[in-house]
Amino acid sequence: MRVIREVFINFKRSGFLSLISIGTIIVTITVLAGYYLISETVNHFMNELQNKVEIVVFLNDNISKDKIDNIITEIKEFPEISEVFFISKLDAYQEFAKDKEMKQILDSFEGNPFPDSIKIKLKDYTKQNIEKLTTFLNNKEGVLEVQYGGKDIEDFLNIINVIKLITAVAGVIFIIASILVVSSIINLTIYARRHDIYVFRMVGATDLYIRLPFIMEGLIHGIIGGLFGWVVIYIIIKILSLQIQKEIGINLLNFYIFRPEFFTVRFLIGCIVSGALLGFIGSLLSQGRIRGDYY
Amino acid sequence: MIKFKHVYKIYEKDIRALDDISFEICDGELVFITGPSGAGKSTILNLLYREDVPTMGTILVNDTDISHLRGGKISKYRRSIGFVFQDFKLLFDRCVFDNIALPLEVVGTNRQYIKRVVLEYIKKIGLSGKEKLNPWHLSGGEKQKVAIARALITSPSLILADEPTGNLDDFSAWEVITMLLDANKAGTTVIIATHNKEIISRVGGRVIKLDKGRLIHQ
Repeated sequence: MRVIREVFINFKRSGFLSLISIGTIIVTITVLAGYYLISETVNHFMNELQNKVEIVVFLNDNISKDKIDNIITEIKEFPEISEVFFISKLDAYQEFAKDKEMKQILDSFEGNPFPDSIKIKLKDYTKQNIEKLTTFLNNKEGVLEVQYGGKDIEDFLNIINVIKLITAVAGVIFIIASILVVSSIINLTIYARRHDIYVFRMVGATDLYIRLPFIMEGLIHGIIGGLFGWVVIYIIIKILSLQIQKEIGINLLNFYIFRPEFFTVRFLIGCIVSGALLGFIGSLLSQGRIRGDYY
Repeated sequence: MIKFKHVYKIYEKDIRALDDISFEICDGELVFITGPSGAGKSTILNLLYREDVPTMGTILVNDTDISHLRGGKISKYRRSIGFVFQDFKLLFDRCVFDNIALPLEVVGTNRQYIKRVVLEYIKKIGLSGKEKLNPWHLSGGEKQKVAIARALITSPSLILADEPTGNLDDFSAWEVITMLLDANKAGTTVIIATHNKEIISRVGGRVIKLDKGRLIHQ
């Protein structure tokens, strides 16, 4: 009760400054939440792509069975490989012929137009791994062509990764900035209340008794900042998801982090706890002033 | 018992606020510390409530060297002292009641007890009906009475008053001094720093006289 009253007095004394402190935490939480959402989404898509993207090695028609086995054995020696399987001309033909339209097209060819091929799946979907393997395969005797369908997706992911990096750097900058802003503003509140602090000390108040309201003040700034940071990101996601649904037809709500049970409960708690932590650290940093720097 | 033994307080550039001060004050004594501005009166009080420490020398309060007190022990020590300042040092975000209750509140005293005792004191200082007022609305004399009530509320063994009548008219000044004398009659050691010679001659009692940081009479 006493602490709440003191915090209220602090708000009254430095209302505008408190708003700046809360505002900074709102921006920080929005940036951090944005970073988290982008990371989660990108990781999710990376996993999806890993399962779908594959390297296909088309082989020359005249290649012998031994040579094919030899190539497969060599591919398997790469540690980055998760699966390798051979698809013969006939298997490829039968697979495509299942589709009626494709069957019609295939009938227009004389014989089986498909070459033998090897499909490869990677453990880790990185540019280095793909380049390493394609270079090896392109130089291999009996290989007609190496196809890798994920080039465009990879470019897209590279852009996303750059965005992720920028958001992470911005996040770190905002964390430092918000801690410094909260700490400076609580310092100013301490300065504004230096006379009261002096009286508290004179009547025998302990350090904790004097400090607690200021720590609580930082915590409350953080909690309010965290809550409103979540509101901001919620509004952004709502607008974005409507736009994405309209433009590309992807419903973001199908993705777990945007579903209400995650986004409005766990994510909200996460934002508030992070905000509270920023406020708490900021207010702790300002506590040195109470030892008497101002009087 | 308070003992100052060869106490020096030297600030930068060899400014001697106190220069080899030694005296003793017994329990229940009434002592005036007097002298012109800059004589060192406030410095002695600052050292006594452990706001500052001497550059050299020893200050013993009930055989404890208060210069060695740290952290929570300083808070505990200050709870045994009531202080009264020329500028009252009231909290203007709180009403009269809350200002007087402050020393009890910081030690976590029961709310019911606080209410009873504080209202008693408010009655004693003649401010009944004004307990919910902000100190801004009080006269200088009333503000100082609130400050004295706050100093006395915990029944301290020592009262330190730094120019308690400095901002008051003669009538209010005498009312304030009477309150301090009453506390002294009840057994509290009272030390008053003042340069008001009229009050000293009217009250009598022991006088410690300082000039330029040196003790010239006790």
